Amino acid sequence: MNTPISFLDSYKKTISSYDEVINKSGEVKSYWATIFATLEAVGLDELGIRNEEIINKLKENGVTYNVYDSENELVRPWKLDPIPFVIHQSEWATIEKGLIQRANLLDLIYKDIYGEQLLIKNNIIPAELVFNNSGFLRPCFDIQHSEFHQLSLLACDIARGPDGKMWLLDNRVQSPSGSGYALENRIVMANVFPQLNKNIHRGKLGPYFIELQKTVGKLGNNAENPNVVFLSPGAGNETYFEHVYLSSYLGFKLVEGSDLLVREGYVWLKTIDQLERVDVIIKRIDDQWCDPLELNKNSLLGIPGLLQVMRLGNVAVINPPGISVLENHGLMAFIQNACKFLLKEPLIMNSTATWWCGQTKELTYVLNNLPKLIIKKTNRDLGFKSVYGRKLNKEQLKELKATILSNPKEYVAQEEVSLSTTPSLIDGKILPRLAVIRAFLISDGSNYKVMKGGLTRSSVVEDKFQISNQFGGISKDTWIISDNLEELEEPKEQQDDIIEIKKTNQISMSTALTSRNAENLFWVGRLSERTLVLTSFLKIIFNRLNENVSSHGKKQPEFLVVLLKAVTHLTQTYPGFVGEEGEEDEAAFEKPLAELIPLIKDAKKEGSLSYNVQSLLYTINHISEKWNNDTKGIIYLIEESLVSLKASDEQKISQTTHGLDKLYIRLMAFYGNTYETLPRENGFYLFEAGKNIERFLSLVSVIQTLFCFKRSEEVEQLLLESVLENHNLLAQYRSNYKSQLNLVTVLNMLFLEKNSPYTLAYILDTLAYNISNLPKKSELNQLSIAEKKVLEASTIIKLIDPEKLEQADENNFRETLDSTINTVSELISSVTSSLSSLYFNHSVMQLSFLATDKNNSDEI
Amino acid sequence: MKYKLVHKTTYTYIDSIHNYQCIVCLHPISSERQNCEDFKLTIEPNPQNLYARKDYFGNTQYYFSILKPHKVLQVIATSVVEVFPPKLIVANAITCSEALNLFNTKLALKNELLQFQLPSPFIFWDEEVKLFAQTCLDPNESLYESVAKLSEKIFTEFEFNSGATTINTPLNEVLKLRKGVCQDFTHLMIACVRSLGFAARYVSGYLETLPPKGKLKLQGSDASHAWVSVYVPEMGWCEFDPTNNIISGERHIVTAYGRDYSDISPLKGIIFSSGEHKVKVEVDVIPVL
Repeated sequence: MNTPISFLDSYKKTISSYDEVINKSGEVKSYWATIFATLEAVGLDELGIRNEEIINKLKENGVTYNVYDSENELVRPWKLDPIPFVIHQSEWATIEKGLIQRANLLDLIYKDIYGEQLLIKNNIIPAELVFNNSGFLRPCFDIQHSEFHQLSLLACDIARGPDGKMWLLDNRVQSPSGSGYALENRIVMANVFPQLNKNIHRGKLGPYFIELQKTVGKLGNNAENPNVVFLSPGAGNETYFEHVYLSSYLGFKLVEGSDLLVREGYVWLKTIDQLERVDVIIKRIDDQWCDPLELNKNSLLGIPGLLQVMRLGNVAVINPPGISVLENHGLMAFIQNACKFLLKEPLIMNSTATWWCGQTKELTYVLNNLPKLIIKKTNRDLGFKSVYGRKLNKEQLKELKATILSNPKEYVAQEEVSLSTTPSLIDGKILPRLAVIRAFLISDGSNYKVMKGGLTRSSVVEDKFQISNQFGGISKDTWIISDNLEELEEPKEQQDDIIEIKKTNQISMSTALTSRNAENLFWVGRLSERTLVLTSFLKIIFNRLNENVSSHGKKQPEFLVVLLKAVTHLTQTYPGFVGEEGEEDEAAFEKPLAELIPLIKDAKKEGSLSYNVQSLLYTINHISEKWNNDTKGIIYLIEESLVSLKASDEQKISQTTHGLDKLYIRLMAFYGNTYETLPRENGFYLFEAGKNIERFLSLVSVIQTLFCFKRSEEVEQLLLESVLENHNLLAQYRSNYKSQLNLVTVLNMLFLEKNSPYTLAYILDTLAYNISNLPKKSELNQLSIAEKKVLEASTIIKLIDPEKLEQADENNFRETLDSTINTVSELISSVTSSLSSLYFNHSVMQLSFLATDKNNSDEI
Repeated sequence: MKYKLVHKTTYTYIDSIHNYQCIVCLHPISSERQNCEDFKLTIEPNPQNLYARKDYFGNTQYYFSILKPHKVLQVIATSVVEVFPPKLIVANAITCSEALNLFNTKLALKNELLQFQLPSPFIFWDEEVKLFAQTCLDPNESLYESVAKLSEKIFTEFEFNSGATTINTPLNEVLKLRKGVCQDFTHLMIACVRSLGFAARYVSGYLETLPPKGKLKLQGSDASHAWVSVYVPEMGWCEFDPTNNIISGERHIVTAYGRDYSDISPLKGIIFSSGEHKVKVEVDVIPVL
């Protein structure tokens, strides 16, 4: 070590509170010495580089929290500290015991509250904490069936108190999140920073997930091969990444409420070819929203009738709705007595000291000690944020007192917990930061197991830690380490490695395609093609604009005017270059950039490039479980393109054109990757169908605007060149025909050539092929309506006579060309609605109502 | 008295419905005051399945679903109920403040009553409601008499008007309008009673109506009804009908008890549809003996 002062010594100097590195006797824990030695060997510079790599890796993998920030429309990437949080196995064993006892206790409390209510009858917990708690759901009192644990999944936030022991701060039961982030943290760390765990024996996360798979296998009627779905509220949810990640990792179908339906006492999954029975639901929506029939009637996230299916024992839900009654801060105040009453043993792990203001003595204490307490409502309603007494001035304290006194039973106070600090990489320095660990438990029905690891969050700034509902701050990989391997080994569990190695770079395309995903894939096809076509057309226009700059003064040459009008027609951004009611706006052509730049950058302008890219990304995000890691990397690049397109500027045209080129290549890469990797299943055929429908419609739209009116030969020459370029056919034309461009030959090629991917005949053949592969709903041996329409359009296209299409009347109008294009456009447009009514028909409005008759209600 | 009850609900939809999930709460309860001898539920189109269960409050509810596309749905509940002659009510002298004291000190009583003392989905109150309640419920007066006075006050000061409110009209609005239907009066009275710390339940059911003198009773002319049940120590749950200012008796037939309308609404459902729908409710209360 050449540095004058070692990392460890310099770190020790920055410690101002009790720290993870130091043991009770004030000495550095030996394993921290090892880690610091490794960090020192790596060096701060290298550590900074690793940190960058971690950030990039997470971004590439699409790891986000709160996927689309509504304000900025940007992703908020996940943050991961390269320095892990470390606990020794000898200490973890005690923590595990405490957590397992807590899980058993919570399970019993849940069963008692919805059962005999002995806790209330014996005055162990006050009735208010149950009956005045929005988490207590009466319709759920008769939905449990088995003797097994009902609380299958549990997440607990723990932190080290000043006494050196771990304290329990909070428990999450409704839809515990974070285990997926913990897993991704581990995988990224192992990839980016393998040196760090070299001489260290570290607990594996795999067994926890294997246990979860086993538990799920035991539940439900169909124990042989249960159909498991992962119920998410959808892409708008802040932990949606995790839903996608975990469901794909565990091999469960990711669904939303609208994908499921109750029928004949069972829950069914709507797929494009049939209904599939569901045996187990892993639920990531809050309890209230599960069943609009019996719970919150305004919920569009749930499944009407779900509770009745649970009562019949025909579906298992993890964790069952109603368990939310446990997420009540007030219960913490009575947990010790509940433990003695139900388990006949003392509580192993303490909770944060909690006072329920519904008791006289406790209320007095709280009112006299407000500055050192955190005030919360017993109901974990979204409206009330925790109030930190120390942050209030005299006036505010008085107000708070009055608020509590107006309804003391609704408030609890908790001690503001003091937390330990742990080494963290902050702005290139190793500094002490407060940390909270989220631990994860899973039950196999009768025993709980704790994940050997967890999700640690630390504060960014050196301040008191706020345990927020959402993941704030930076996360850390969490290591349970031991001096030898045996200590960490699970008995008889040899498959650990298999699941730990299992990476996410595989497509998890199950054969059953939900109607919702079917529709989304179709639209990804349409929107990506729409974006691609527009990008390509804009490239052509910018090239022409650059070539013609200053050559004609202010006035644009005729062919450019036609091209500019075509872009308005293509994007349907009227008036644009077309003008109002056929009146062209001269000014628009003098300064075309004033129209073109917003057409690129303005994401709020319907039809603009940014608008299309954004819609595309939004739709892609809704089915992100279908994309493999490489595709996700490309999607990330397209996101990056969106950011740079939004920054387009009239003054920097070359940057904009460069941006268009990049976007074009990235979209092509997206196509390439999906084409090479998507299994040839319904999803693929719908994606391809969407792509080809869009391609066809946009190409004929351009042909129509460019050639419906006959223009001078010189102008038509230039337009022909552009249209060939638009079909990626210019080079081929030149080599095939070696002649001057003329409309008859070009139409001949654009319409009839069967071997080039961008000709109309080819596109319709591809479309017909893809649609023919989709499942038949009726008349198995006949063409579907969609197929018939494609056939008709294809026949029209293939039978055209280019000479005839070229004919113009005395007003230079090419009537045949125009009407032919109108006919085929209409046919192909209607294919979308045929497909939609056949495969996507699931998005009907859900309404809830009570039987009240406005004119004749309860009148006596 | 014995009654035959027919409660017919007809839904008419503009677009056809292909998924309908429903809960029915129309099965009259059997208790000390009445016995439900027969109950039949007829649903058209035929549901895939029909499951009965006792809800948290002990009422019988039915769940059914229809996945066959339909434009008209009819639910007919027919029951025969014998209502026993009411016991003689001897109002005791326990005052409001004595009752409150009992609620606060007796754990078993508190545990039994708490959910009927707290706000519930349709019942919450402000100062106005509380002030209105205080005009009748005096700490030193008999609780039973005070509640009877409250019922009378609502009857005399409020106008029965079916167009003025909907099920979602908030209570303070009802109080301001001084208009409403039996549900409004029942909810308001429960809110008043709870606002001062007492326990009150929502009762859904029927009231036998008599046709105008010399005229025949018209079919479907009755309606479902709602009234209030208040807990008075030592007397138990006592029922009051603020819409008619009568103590509920042999002409009142109980369907179900709950915290408020939301717990025991006769029919609640979820449909999947884009169009509008109409509901028609016809009720007959026919004395059979």
